[in-house]
Amino acid sequence: MNVVQPKYTSLTDLQADLKNQQITCLELAQYYLSRIKSTNHLNIYIQVYEQEVLLEAARQDKIIQAGNFHELGKLYGMFFNHKDVICLKDHPISAGSKILESFESLYSATVIRKILDQDAMLIGRVNCDEFAMGSSNQNSTYGPTRNPHHEDYIPGGSSGASAVSVAVDTCLASLGSDTGGSVRQPASFCGVYGMKPSYGALSRYGLIAYGSSFDQIGFLSHSIEVIEELLKVSKGKDPLDATSIEIDKQESLPNKKYTYGYFSQLDDSHFLDGSIHEAFNQFKNSLVQQGHQVKPVEFSLLDYLVPTYYILTTAEASSNLSRYDGVRYGHRASPADEVLSMYKNSRTEGFGTEVKRRLMMGTYVLSAGYYEAYYNKAQKVRRLLVQALSNLFNQVDYIINPVTPNKPWKIGENLDDPIKVYLSDVLTVYVNLVGLPSLALPWSKDELNLPIGMQITGPRKKDLNLLASCKEMGTLE
Amino acid sequence: MIKQGYEFVAGLEMHVQLNTSTKAFCSDNNAFGGDPNTLVSPVSLAHPGTLPVVNLSQIKSAIKLGIALGSHISDQVIFDRKNYFYPDLPKGYQLTQDTLPICIGGSIYLPKTKKSIQIHHIHMEEDAGKLTHDNHDTYSLVDLNRAGVPLLEMVTEPDFRSPDQVFEFIEVMQKLVTFLDISDGNMEEGSIRCDCNVSVRPVGSNTYGERCEIKNINSKRFAKIAVEYEFKRQLKLIAYGEHIKQQTLHFDKQRKITYPLRTKEDAHDYRYFPDPDLPVYHVTNEMVQEIEKSLTELPWKIESRLLERFPLNAVEAQTIAYNSNLTQLFERLAEQITPNLYKTLIDVFFQKLIKLEDYTKPPKEDQLLEFLELVGSKQVNKFHAYEQLFDLMISNPSKSVIQLAQELGILQSDDLDYTGTVVNQVLEQFPQEVQRYRQGQKKLMGFFIGQVMQISKGKVQAQNAQKVLLEILKSD
Repeated sequence: MNVVQPKYTSLTDLQADLKNQQITCLELAQYYLSRIKSTNHLNIYIQVYEQEVLLEAARQDKIIQAGNFHELGKLYGMFFNHKDVICLKDHPISAGSKILESFESLYSATVIRKILDQDAMLIGRVNCDEFAMGSSNQNSTYGPTRNPHHEDYIPGGSSGASAVSVAVDTCLASLGSDTGGSVRQPASFCGVYGMKPSYGALSRYGLIAYGSSFDQIGFLSHSIEVIEELLKVSKGKDPLDATSIEIDKQESLPNKKYTYGYFSQLDDSHFLDGSIHEAFNQFKNSLVQQGHQVKPVEFSLLDYLVPTYYILTTAEASSNLSRYDGVRYGHRASPADEVLSMYKNSRTEGFGTEVKRRLMMGTYVLSAGYYEAYYNKAQKVRRLLVQALSNLFNQVDYIINPVTPNKPWKIGENLDDPIKVYLSDVLTVYVNLVGLPSLALPWSKDELNLPIGMQITGPRKKDLNLLASCKEMGTLE
Repeated sequence: MIKQGYEFVAGLEMHVQLNTSTKAFCSDNNAFGGDPNTLVSPVSLAHPGTLPVVNLSQIKSAIKLGIALGSHISDQVIFDRKNYFYPDLPKGYQLTQDTLPICIGGSIYLPKTKKSIQIHHIHMEEDAGKLTHDNHDTYSLVDLNRAGVPLLEMVTEPDFRSPDQVFEFIEVMQKLVTFLDISDGNMEEGSIRCDCNVSVRPVGSNTYGERCEIKNINSKRFAKIAVEYEFKRQLKLIAYGEHIKQQTLHFDKQRKITYPLRTKEDAHDYRYFPDPDLPVYHVTNEMVQEIEKSLTELPWKIESRLLERFPLNAVEAQTIAYNSNLTQLFERLAEQITPNLYKTLIDVFFQKLIKLEDYTKPPKEDQLLEFLELVGSKQVNKFHAYEQLFDLMISNPSKSVIQLAQELGILQSDDLDYTGTVVNQVLEQFPQEVQRYRQGQKKLMGFFIGQVMQISKGKVQAQNAQKVLLEILKSD
């Protein structure tokens, strides 16, 4: 069985059981390790830190048995993994790319460091789309990861394996990254919670860059509670990331009733896939039944979202990925007669098709003569979007939509139609264009048993309020 | 400089390495030397996932120079990425300021060549690493110690009209950045490097000719030679009826010629765009004012003040003015002496004081003032004072200088009787010379004075000796 009843969905329950000696960290580690082994065919993990995690579990058990809980951090007993784009000191990291073959990081990402400082246990490194570019987890040098609910289907991406690793209960949480939906879309396709915090809420130091002004580390788990704990521990301004910020404290809002807005275009039956349309209607009804208000809002920039997103992210990526040149680390093509051929050969051999496509697009939109028409215009649209969303949040508390307008596709499908895949990002990319916090929650399933997720997006820096209000929502199953 | 009816025109791009303690965008040490690739970190090596963070000292240094040159200081600091591939550039892009430089405009006056040079702008950027191609046949070596070192790039207007002005500009800027303490100004170590844009135009023309850029010159002398050569080269081309092609040139120090760096000028598209990793930094009025306050009087003001008050020449005034320690010492000493000792002070200052190993810890001031008095009043002759007394004074800080002069037996005597005794002794010793003098060989006076000085071991003042000698030789 791929998808099982999760052993734990709540950190509070887990730590209570550890305290009451219902279970030990070592037993839990062995459970997760056995889950990893039995789901090996889904191609989730690139590397399992078996020995390290067993040692750490034994260390924590000793402290727990001695009753010295004050010696333990807030996240003791939590097992998590990291996407292959978040660096861990003295461990290989490759961004799912051949160009980083045999590369080991000299340092740990700030977010990983903060979480490990609180005694969470890192169980392994998981697959993803190369340099986090993709929506299907098929663009990886390690091959595709499969959807656990239906193995012929993609799990979504780029944090596909992160979502699968949670769905099949190999860990309590996974660290993913979200540039245009890369946490939320696979969470939705795999039936787990996935959160992208406000831009800058978490340090990007140690997150391998794709689109610097969009990238954000995010969390995937079985519950909002676990995501909340991880966010609280890892958020905050980092001297190593100039774009990092402090998010707002949580306001206490017991039983508050909210206004949820959705883009009026979603009422058009052509916009959403049939079963998703139906699921969204049920979601809206459920909110109304809980006493909230739900209303359509005018949003005229919907058609510009995907082009703007792809112009800006590929522009940034074309520059961010220049460092992979084979000079200092990573893949270097066999000796060339001069330096330009070394670059060309190393990068030609090292990067996959989708990465090359985006680097070409990004280089193009930044080129002299095209800069004004593409990059600069897209920046202007981005400013308009920030303004438009800020206006919307004067009318509503949250913006809701299905995470995707379409359902997961089959592995191998759409490989020759990148535009179709790009367009399916329409309902997630606006969040990154504006830097908002956003949560994907598992809502229902379609006729093939594939999950459908809903997305709730809040105002910038109100991440903790967003999580608090989403806790009350429940799912439809 | 004008030749064959054509005028020399040049503009400079000067790169100044800043002396901040860390690099421009990370905490690596900013130092010269060090074994290859030891002053590096994951950030300066551009490892995956690393990010730049702005070094505030770099911004402050730029503002300081801008204020000194009278530039407009931008209220926003924006860094742009300049994208190109080269093995000395780890990120594959250089962080620089393309759209909005930190300082705009400004000027500097060159006193020797009497020329004012307008500054177009000053922007901040990071240095690249160093490549070595000579050690191996089959590969080149990369040293990234210098990668990420903060630089200011100062771009002048094409205001230079002679190679001497180019020389003096570099000289003055070198002194200025040292004075402001934003760079060590060391050209041998590459702390200042220049690109020189040279063109020619018919005298009287108000448009510019096609320019050639000589890259990466790290000496003011070479800069002068290079632009001079380039001027002549362009004149020669014109004389042969050829057009000047815009190109990038390299200067060969050995052969003292310029030659093209690339055969065909490949038009680089650097795809500049604002760095998304570095948010806009806002420069506040308070910050600018604080830096302005911290700036002491600027060197050219000190220079003209010194020239007005003291009998200094231009070079001496500049030397003192561009070094705040020297300015302080000189003015403190000058305040405590009478104007008739100024010349003595200047001489002692340049002959002795600034040659001390550590002139910031000069001899005790009361000793020094006594010393000036003794030399100025000629109670000790200059030779003895500079060669013996000065060092003795430093090694005996508790003794009075007059006492030391007495101990050395070099204190000159005002006693005309003593002088008379010595003179008579000399005249008795050299009767033949006395005779020849009286027969008209008046230049023997020097010989007699010399003998008097020698016998008295310098205690007799030469003037007194001459006076007595003239009297005695006349009266007989």
